[in-house]
Amino acid sequence: MYQSKWRIFTNHTILVLGALFMILPVWIAFASSTHTREYVFQNGLQFWPGGEFFSNYGAILFDAEATKGRVTALEMLFNSMVLGLGFAIGKVIISMMAAYAIVYFRFKLAVPLFWIIFSTLLLPLEVRIVPSYEVVADLGLLNSYTGLILPLIASATGTFFFRQFYRSVPDELLEAARLDGAGPIRFFIDILVPLSVTMIAAIFIIMFVVGWNQYLWPLLMTTDDQLYTIVIGIKQVYNSLYEGGQIPQFPKAFALTIMATIPPVLVVVIFQRMFVKGLVETEK
Amino acid sequence: MATVTLNQAQKTYPNGFKAIHGIDLKIEDGEFTVLVGPSGCGKSTLLRMIAGLESISDGEISIDDKVVNKIAPADRDIAMVFQNYALYPHMNNYDNMAYGLKNRGYSKAEIDTKVREAARILQLDDHLERKPRQLSGGQRQRVAMGRAIVREPKVFLFDEPLSNLDAKLRVDMRLEIKNLQQRLGITSVYVTHDQVEAMTLADRLIVMNGGIAEQIGSPIDIYEKPASQFVAGFIGSPAMNFLKGKVSDDKKHVTFGDGVMLDLDYDVEAGREVTVGIRPEHLDLLQDGEGRINAPVRMVESLGAETLVYLDFGANADNVTLRLQGTHQFAKGDQLSLSVPANKIHLFDIDSGKRL
Repeated sequence: MYQSKWRIFTNHTILVLGALFMILPVWIAFASSTHTREYVFQNGLQFWPGGEFFSNYGAILFDAEATKGRVTALEMLFNSMVLGLGFAIGKVIISMMAAYAIVYFRFKLAVPLFWIIFSTLLLPLEVRIVPSYEVVADLGLLNSYTGLILPLIASATGTFFFRQFYRSVPDELLEAARLDGAGPIRFFIDILVPLSVTMIAAIFIIMFVVGWNQYLWPLLMTTDDQLYTIVIGIKQVYNSLYEGGQIPQFPKAFALTIMATIPPVLVVVIFQRMFVKGLVETEK
Repeated sequence: MATVTLNQAQKTYPNGFKAIHGIDLKIEDGEFTVLVGPSGCGKSTLLRMIAGLESISDGEISIDDKVVNKIAPADRDIAMVFQNYALYPHMNNYDNMAYGLKNRGYSKAEIDTKVREAARILQLDDHLERKPRQLSGGQRQRVAMGRAIVREPKVFLFDEPLSNLDAKLRVDMRLEIKNLQQRLGITSVYVTHDQVEAMTLADRLIVMNGGIAEQIGSPIDIYEKPASQFVAGFIGSPAMNFLKGKVSDDKKHVTFGDGVMLDLDYDVEAGREVTVGIRPEHLDLLQDGEGRINAPVRMVESLGAETLVYLDFGANADNVTLRLQGTHQFAKGDQLSLSVPANKIHLFDIDSGKRL
């Protein structure tokens, strides 16, 4: 499509301004996290990085005292990673299998069951959080990774997406596989899973970010600092900013925030490539 | 090497629709059988019943005298080629062909020998490492056939394998399939709606309509002696012309509305109303006034090697086609004079459509 120079210029200006608008707060947080707390307290938010990058980030990562708790940021990152990965992988596996059963097996109530699963989309976690807590507490799973992940692992969204995808796979592939002597499990592993790679990547991205950003659930589930996720950690640090009559820990709070954003961004960047590549190359 | 026997095979769907109304058929060892018919006639359903992809509601299907009604598709020792190829898109062509063998527990060395042999036969040697999407339609269809060949099945099943190819490729692949089948001598059942494919490939042709086998026979028998008006209209291109006529009192002629009279070589009662069938290639063009039939030209299609002339027969027929060798120059409205040899006239019952 032909575009005049003017138009290209205008378009790019708008895009650049939009990008700056999104990036600037992050940049300011990052720049401010590389100064001493006294400097930030006296001079406000900083636009240019200072010389305290290593000491601030080192303290946050390895020194529990700096995060105002009994865990270091590294441990919290690890907890978040476990939650995010467990959440995303678990959801992908469960929803793939649920959709497989719904689409490929003819059993009574398959359709009503699907709609029951689908209707749970109407019940977000917040609505059912008290009964969920009760169940997990009764099972003795409070303060455990299992308790953090397991109750969230079923996914109506994922099941729905996989169902739609499976329905678009030609029946002949199933028939050809049946003639080739592949049973239901072989067909699933050898044919359906490789064909779903793009869907898996897409659901994984979405679910990892959702899992990583979970706040309410981990807050309820964990009373032990050792299981705190980084999102809870940030809240904790900001809470204690003005406590104790010390100079507030602005730089370290910013450093923690910046670190909390890195893993989800990485996941999106890495898997999006795969996602797009898959979209371009897949042919059903 | 196998025979396939259908004994009153029937298919009724859960919603009560009867797709196959009981078919008896014995396919001999090494025979190439073609099921042909318009869409919805049940030909694909019948093929899928032989494959085991559709259950058999009633009757029996046997392969080599062994009833296979309750046997899973993979254990029937058959191989199928699908219209849309149904290749596994994420596997390369080698793995596509090898997959069935892997699942059957063949060793790597055996698989390799078989796949390479099939690839050699089908001239796919250079394409084994590629994915199906990197191949042309014809090559994909060859991979699909390779997948069938490597298994050395008792029966080959083809479900409209050439429908997705362009016209020229279709002719090439048709010859290739025929060639391959003759070389390997494997009993084959082939489904198509294309009557040219049906005529050229078949040792035996089964013309299906509405879930029943209208006629079973060699292609030439079916062409020369169609058992019903449906078969007559379906086999042959352009389609047979049908006219309303009446057998004359002396039984030696058949007459049409305005006094046209043709010689008849049939044993039919005098005065009976009949449907007269004449193939476009059996109408002979004569000098002006010499023929029994005179009709004006409605339209002409020149194909080079032959010319199709559409004639106006008034109320006696919807459309009458004349097929002539070579090129001819006619203008719209030209009167043509035609005749038909008595032994090229087909008579059908006006109600049942059965051959008389």
